[in-house]
Amino acid sequence: MNDGTSRESIDPETTPEALVERFGRDLINDFDLDDPAFNDRFDETLNFMVRKCPVVHSTVGKGYYLINTQDDVRAAAQNWQTFSSAKGYMPNRPDGLPYLMPEESDPPIHTRWRRVLNPHLSPKVCASYEQAVRDDANELIDRFIERGECEFISEFGALLPGWAFFKNVLGLPIDDLAMLVNGVEEGTFAPDLDARAKHFAGVFEYLETHLKWRSTQPSRGDLIDTILAGVTYDDGTIAPWEHKVSILVDLTFGGIATTTFVMGSAIHHLATHPDQRQLLIDQPVLVENAIEEYARFFPPVVALGRTATSDVEVSGTSIKEGEFVMLAYACASRDPRHMDEPEKIDVRREGIPHSTFGVGPHRCIGSNLARVELTATLEEWLKRIPEFRVKSGGEPTYVTGFLRSMRSLHLEW
Amino acid sequence: MKVHIDEIKCSGHGRCAKYAPNVFKLSDDDGYNADRGQTIEVPAGEEENAQLGIKSCPERALIIVED
Ligand code: HEM
Ligand code: SF4
Repeated sequence: MNDGTSRESIDPETTPEALVERFGRDLINDFDLDDPAFNDRFDETLNFMVRKCPVVHSTVGKGYYLINTQDDVRAAAQNWQTFSSAKGYMPNRPDGLPYLMPEESDPPIHTRWRRVLNPHLSPKVCASYEQAVRDDANELIDRFIERGECEFISEFGALLPGWAFFKNVLGLPIDDLAMLVNGVEEGTFAPDLDARAKHFAGVFEYLETHLKWRSTQPSRGDLIDTILAGVTYDDGTIAPWEHKVSILVDLTFGGIATTTFVMGSAIHHLATHPDQRQLLIDQPVLVENAIEEYARFFPPVVALGRTATSDVEVSGTSIKEGEFVMLAYACASRDPRHMDEPEKIDVRREGIPHSTFGVGPHRCIGSNLARVELTATLEEWLKRIPEFRVKSGGEPTYVTGFLRSMRSLHLEW
Repeated sequence: MKVHIDEIKCSGHGRCAKYAPNVFKLSDDDGYNADRGQTIEVPAGEEENAQLGIKSCPERALIIVED
């Protein structure tokens, strides 16, 4: 290594023994997204992997790879021909779970749907929801501000995204939101795989019932009507009913299960970093940067999967046709090859190309709405509750798999 | 300065227009870069913003074709 010629020389930090000693397992050959140690040492593991382990393998279930550098993640995400979404995005997918459109499809089917759905979640349309989302943020804050404390996740973070999406975009009642949030959360993280499938089935059933009901109602010209109108695929077939249901399910998963984590993490960071909080209060123009920085650093989508459609090599690792490959967006967003000091949070950062919202044709369709929700949260919160801290004993708790979620965060002011 | 917007790679992150609103426009309809597949001229004085917009594109869809 020292003479610069022996490229094959061994990095003492990545030998199986060194990895077991440091991380409790051989990250490179025996990775596990669901390992509690990954949850506990999330940042350290991501920072290490993006630098030292461009590709890692897991032997859990049917096994899967994780691609970790920004260049490799971008290349794979854009190359849908080789890294197909049509076999699902979850590793060790529960049997019988229907595929979710548009996420679990490839072009041209995917393109047909995105073309009709995109206009409902464009930056322009989402900007028109901004005032309503701000009002909702204030309504939530009204409920607890006088109390001088709150549990941020259940009283704000898990509610605002659902309200924003259901009220403005879907026109769905928010009464059943708690049930759906729980169904999505348990469907993702329940330790028992059968239980996961059952929770997902509950969410499907609820949304299908709503879609059916809407098909009997006069058109409102909204997103639901666009889903009901459907699309014609390139081979002339018309999208079947199940695809329409799955579109609504996929949107709902995305709409309620992700933004909460960025909100909670941002508010926690501001609660524990008064200097950054003051910076945002003094210079509100920085909020926009702050949101990108928090999204970069606190990724609710750790990694999403593809299936290799042919043998392929990624940073020296051969991957065989049919293997499951996860794009570690969380690692790619802190690649030191593309930004300085990626392990540091700085709300002043500008123009960092992060991959929190995914890369390639599956780029998060809700990214514009999520940004509106995050802006409303930071701006309204800092206006109403400029001074706040974590309640003693109320530190955040997390759960992690291919998604990461914050379970609770107790604040006081 | 001229920039080409890759028609296929652009997937509508909208970062380019955030950082360089006088250079890059998003389509009102779908929010993707409005000049996808085309080469645009960066107005004089906007080079720095354009650079930031180019850098922030997660898809590397913006290519400088002429300095
Ligand atoms: C901070 C919040 C959010 C984050 C970090 C996030 C992240 C992501 C990521 C990484 C993908 C890429 C999937 C892939 O590569 O296969 C994605 C796709 C998607 N997201 Fe989000 N999301 C967020 C909020 C939302 C919201 C609010 C919605 C709904 C309104 C939503 C709906 C979707 C849908 C439907 C897809 C699939 C798009 C496709 O496959 O074409 N997401 N999201
Ligand atoms: S940032 Fe890149 S992907 Fe996003 S709209 Fe602009 S050119 Fe397209």
